[in-house]
Amino acid sequence: MELTEKLISQTNPLKMENEKALFQVITGGPLKVTGPFQITGSDGEIIEKEEPVYLCRCGKSSNKPFCNGAHKRIGFSE
Amino acid sequence: MTDPRDRQYTNGEITVFWIPSKCIHATTCFRELIEVFNPGRRPWVNMEEAPTRRIIEVVNKCPTQALVWKYNKDLTEEERKALREVDHRLEENPKTLSGTNAPTSIRIMKDGPIFVEGNFKIIGAENQELKPTIMTSFCRCGSSRNMPYCDGTHRKIDFTDQSTENGE
Repeated sequence: MELTEKLISQTNPLKMENEKALFQVITGGPLKVTGPFQITGSDGEIIEKEEPVYLCRCGKSSNKPFCNGAHKRIGFSE
Repeated sequence: MTDPRDRQYTNGEITVFWIPSKCIHATTCFRELIEVFNPGRRPWVNMEEAPTRRIIEVVNKCPTQALVWKYNKDLTEEERKALREVDHRLEENPKTLSGTNAPTSIRIMKDGPIFVEGNFKIIGAENQELKPTIMTSFCRCGSSRNMPYCDGTHRKIDFTDQSTENGE
């Protein structure tokens, strides 16, 4: 069992990392989130959404908290 | 009795104690005073950014007493010692987080940042892995000077969750 796990982690290092949520900052764009997480909206309600989710970082989405591509229109940069 | 995760921060006049095991992330502190209490920064408490009176006011609002304060003149010898030896690097270590199997909590703060707590990993805009942490807050207003983290700018620019159809 232990050996199998070791082999899996060697062949696919991402496999073992999958237990953690992963936040990826996309240059000039949203925040991509994968892995085990739970999102609570600004009203305190849990938002049901399948991964990956893309959270707006530019402040201009009309679909907040999610990205709607507005960053491209406004030329958002870090 | 002291938990190794406990932290203390001082401005010379008062000391603020943070007891993570009591913290339920009510977010009162950083909604009220992000200049001082900013989960997107390390150390996350910066005592120089507001007058003592204001810090006391906000600490007193903590619903679980995860944040408490004392005048420095009232500190015990043990507390003084801890203040000298404080190691903020521990604050960043995910291993100090209990219950690591719980899904990471992402909370959208009204007119504010994305507050994240749990066992997670961050990959930056240049595809580099960012410092591990047990909690942070990501900028959502687009104007932070400490991207991708929140630096409190959303307040200055009156960022709101209201939809902006034209993207202006």
